[in-house]
Amino acid sequence: MDAAVSVREAVKTFGHHRAVDGVSLDVPRGIIFGLIGPNGAGKTTTIRMILDIIRPDAGEVRVLGMPAGESARDRIGYLPEERGLYRKMKVLEMVEYQGTLKGARPAEARREAAAWLDRLGLGEWKDRKVEDLSKGMQQKVQFIGALMRKPELLILDEPFSGLDPVNQNLFKDVMLEQNREGATIIFSTHQMDTAERLCREIALIDRGRIVLGGSLASVKSRFGKNSVLVEYDGDGLSLQELPGVARVDDYGHYREIRLRNGADPQALLRALVDKVTIRRFEIVEPTLHNIFIEQVGERPADA
Amino acid sequence: MHKLLMVIRREYLERVRKKSFWLGTLLFPLLMVGLIFIQILLADVETGNQRKIALIDTTGRLEQRFREKLAEEKLKDGRPAFVVESHPAGEGADVAARRLLPRVVSGDLFGIITVGKDLDAEKNFRLYAKSVGNLDVQRTLQGALRQAVLGVRLEQSNMKLEQKELAALLAPIELESFQVAAAGEAKRKGFREAYFGTFTFVFILYMSLLLYGIAVMRGILEEKSNRIMEVLLGSLSPDQLMTGKILGIGLVGLTQMAIYTATVGIVRLYIAASPLAGDWSGTLDAVSPARMVYFLVFFILGYFLYTSLFAAVGAVCNSEQEAQNLQTPLVMCLVIPMVATFFFVANPDSTAAVVVSMIPLFAPMVMFMRISVLTPPFWQIALSILLLAGTIWLFFKAVGRIFRIGVLMYGKRPTVPEILRWARG
Repeated sequence: MDAAVSVREAVKTFGHHRAVDGVSLDVPRGIIFGLIGPNGAGKTTTIRMILDIIRPDAGEVRVLGMPAGESARDRIGYLPEERGLYRKMKVLEMVEYQGTLKGARPAEARREAAAWLDRLGLGEWKDRKVEDLSKGMQQKVQFIGALMRKPELLILDEPFSGLDPVNQNLFKDVMLEQNREGATIIFSTHQMDTAERLCREIALIDRGRIVLGGSLASVKSRFGKNSVLVEYDGDGLSLQELPGVARVDDYGHYREIRLRNGADPQALLRALVDKVTIRRFEIVEPTLHNIFIEQVGERPADA
Repeated sequence: MHKLLMVIRREYLERVRKKSFWLGTLLFPLLMVGLIFIQILLADVETGNQRKIALIDTTGRLEQRFREKLAEEKLKDGRPAFVVESHPAGEGADVAARRLLPRVVSGDLFGIITVGKDLDAEKNFRLYAKSVGNLDVQRTLQGALRQAVLGVRLEQSNMKLEQKELAALLAPIELESFQVAAAGEAKRKGFREAYFGTFTFVFILYMSLLLYGIAVMRGILEEKSNRIMEVLLGSLSPDQLMTGKILGIGLVGLTQMAIYTATVGIVRLYIAASPLAGDWSGTLDAVSPARMVYFLVFFILGYFLYTSLFAAVGAVCNSEQEAQNLQTPLVMCLVIPMVATFFFVANPDSTAAVVVSMIPLFAPMVMFMRISVLTPPFWQIALSILLLAGTIWLFFKAVGRIFRIGVLMYGKRPTVPEILRWARG
């Protein structure tokens, strides 16, 4: 079967700015795929090309076995990063409208919209205007809009931003359910722990290029098991100067140390034992968070 | 096609469901009828009062004739319309007049007429009044004075005439104008009738083109600033969105026009069947079916032309403030022909009128003006409509390109050369 999305050497330039610079990407069907990268890296542009909202200057984009375009678009549910609804419209009509734009007749779209609103706890708000809703509720409305007509491919740009933990969980459950029922999901996020928990595969985009991609396991193994979590008592210690240490992330409660290639964790342990009282010393795979920072570097993220 | 219909449906329902739409639609004809009614009412009130005129005649020779002539003007109840009181010039007409001014201010006197020494001198006659805008009264007073002066002059040349004979000598002739239609029939129609009849329709055309154009522009600006554009473009092509919006709002306009036309049609039938038909022939003529059809044709063409341009403005701007500058030339294109209605109605066949009625941006209004005061050759109407339709087609293509790029751009508004570059694609 064809991939859900397959992008080949896509290039898109705005004025003098090359937003996407030769991106190639394959998203197999039926998985949850994470698109990560700093702000302005080209995630949204890539997503827009998949939806045929903008066309690449060069390269090819295929979606669900056909060139990106209108007929593919009807099978995609899309939640853009910039949230937007008609503020003066009634909630039910708003969702219904989004359903009809995906090809549904008004009556069936209305039924489906009502069912979703009931399910996500917005049943009583059906006949209220969108502007009367809280931000979180509006985000739910928009999420439902993306789910209308049971899309084969769901593209969610930062679906969790601005949500409280309860609603984050609700969104996550719906996503997992849709995925179980066969939908492929692509979502972008800045929350690396979320991506780590949900995604089978990821692609890291930086400055318009894919700098890292593949299954989460393969990405991690590529970086080796060379991270150490330490917890200790005592201070005044400069971990950075210890043997084999490449970089240190201080989380307050504990620290994550990334070792240089080939460095021996045992040497680090010996060096630590002499200086502080160790409560925890654990050799782990690097977190996605650390891989991200290492790949993208410490430069300001809004380049 | 389904999506396009859905966009049209939303745009249409959103507007037609609003109370303000129905308020505007129903209030407007009511307002028009009300205005006419008030005018009739005012005219009645006006004729109910006698006007007091103070005459300060330095020559002392005009009073008699002036009085006699003015006495012919009667109010509805038969009383004379004017009461003339004569005042001595004394130390000069100006000084005498100044003394009477407070009575004009208080409203006791309608006006003061001063007559200088030399009847043949220029600027010898003056009227001081609180309102000098009432053309009918002014004309009456001027006529009476002229007749009095003529009498004096005739006397000086030894042609003694009675007032009656003088009146017969001076009896004005009236030139009635008839408009010859293509079919060869001639209809009586004066300039005033032609002007006001045309202007009313041109004004409605102007208002609706402007209002609906701005409605389309606002709709697009709203979608941009609400950031809903991207959601929509996840389902629709920009062309579908733009076309749907223009057609949807256009249908709202047509609904409104249909209501107006139906109202006019009913009123027309009612008047035509009533004994008033003769008096109202000018009005009946103004709302003839042929004219209504042309009105609709030019409304629709003008609507597509202007909304496509307003849509482009909406697509490249981020806020209404930003859109102000860009929409100004469009508004000007609409205002100019309206302001020039007088010229085009007076000279519907001039080269200027013919040329301007071929320029697509002005054609909807100017061609309509020409059609309503004379019957231009059919080829001119056809050519004008053809040019309009062609321009609309070109605009739609160009604006579609601008729209596609513009709707997803936020931040700095593109410059006009940039926009034109997009339009060329």
